Amino acid sequence: MSSALEVNVSTGEANPYTPSVAADPIPFYSALRTHCPVATMEGMQGAGVYIISRYEDVRWALKHPEIFSSDLVAVDIGQDRPLIPLQIDPPEHAKYRRVIDPTLGPHEMAPLEDEIRIRVNEVIDQFAADGQVDAHAQFSVPLPGKVFLQMTGLPLDDLDLLLNWKDEIIRPGGGLLPPEEATPRRRAAGADLYGYFADVLRDRAENPGTDLLSRFFGTEVDGREMSNDEMLDICYLFILGGLDTVTSTLDCSLAYLAQNPEYRAALVQDPSRIPAAVEELLRFHTPVMQILRVIKEPTELHGVKMNTGDTVLLMLGAADTDPSEFGETAEEYCIDREVNRHLAFGGGPHRCLGSHLARLELRVALEEWHRRIPDYRITEGFELAYSPGIREVEKLPLEFMPLEFMPLEFMPGE
Amino acid sequence: MSSLKVFLDVEACTGHGRCYSLAPAVFSSDDLGHCEILLAEPPEELRESTRRAVATCPEGALRIEETA
Repeated sequence: MSSALEVNVSTGEANPYTPSVAADPIPFYSALRTHCPVATMEGMQGAGVYIISRYEDVRWALKHPEIFSSDLVAVDIGQDRPLIPLQIDPPEHAKYRRVIDPTLGPHEMAPLEDEIRIRVNEVIDQFAADGQVDAHAQFSVPLPGKVFLQMTGLPLDDLDLLLNWKDEIIRPGGGLLPPEEATPRRRAAGADLYGYFADVLRDRAENPGTDLLSRFFGTEVDGREMSNDEMLDICYLFILGGLDTVTSTLDCSLAYLAQNPEYRAALVQDPSRIPAAVEELLRFHTPVMQILRVIKEPTELHGVKMNTGDTVLLMLGAADTDPSEFGETAEEYCIDREVNRHLAFGGGPHRCLGSHLARLELRVALEEWHRRIPDYRITEGFELAYSPGIREVEKLPLEFMPLEFMPLEFMPGE
Repeated sequence: MSSLKVFLDVEACTGHGRCYSLAPAVFSSDDLGHCEILLAEPPEELRESTRRAVATCPEGALRIEETA
């Protein structure tokens, strides 16, 4: 079934949260942009939930936080307070970004490359000899988690604990539970997550190291020291924002390259094309399909009036496949796209805080994967299922030629 | 002689980092990841990568002035 059918052209209603949209969103995006550039959420007409899809409109909204606010504490992700800096509006927002951005900026990320390369190889070592892998569960999920634990100096044994809380908050019970069941599970996982980091921060206050979390101590926000709650609200965002997004991008990328041997071969033959491929994979798949905003000042777009308190979904994936920005190849994967102003990391002041880390992880992951596993395919007859919202592949069974064990000391650059 | 000059709107830059990835000889990053111009008037051999980097800025924070 074409995902375009999830747009009701006559009523202007649409629903992005369906498996058919997540699996193949491009017809859905196209129908939105063409027929209802400001759609309303299906079944919620009158409730003030809108979907914006054209590139210029999404970009405009991202650049105007005074209209499209991120003050979204009403959206339940198990939190007690707004996540910092995700749910803080300017001008307060900039005070936090000034402190946090340098810790995840390009100057800090570049020296991590060798360590990340080792982590990627350790993860591949676990299944290299098998000739088959669930690349979602065994590669895309553990990799960003291990990198995060390394950067924060947390024990590797805590990975499952953190991943479980993250999943309980983002998609309790696989994301199909009714709110009355989902909400208490989110709150419980959220409370555990706060508790975990409260203990960690207490320890770091006494035994500071050089890790990401220790660096919060003594940092000043607006001329005063950052409070314990503020540090917790940043940690909470790191877990929710940093793990799922890289996982879903790796899932989408490997699934796509497994099915398109010619694009894969280009990267194997010439790894210097990987950085541009990462950008095109981010654009074409836009794993974070949409982000939320709340209207703070009444505004009007394409004849639709949006009032204070209304919710807006900025459909990043639709913007990223808009022919008015990306030309006639907008809805295709283009191996040598000249100009790629994609919005997969959002834009405006809330541009993804972790984008420099994400790009590094994605590049190194694709470099090492294709160096060691140049040829792979999806297990014949297996139908991929994508989760809506953040497009993870639920199970990604890949087959490849088994590799002999390759000790780390033989890695290039070691 | 032809010339190419690059201008940065510091208010518009939010640190996507596309410019210094695509044209590292012309653009660099400050601690926040925001753009810093290294060569405001890049020589001939860097102009193609500069044009591409400027065109790729998602915020439209970079601008070029060229004379033939």
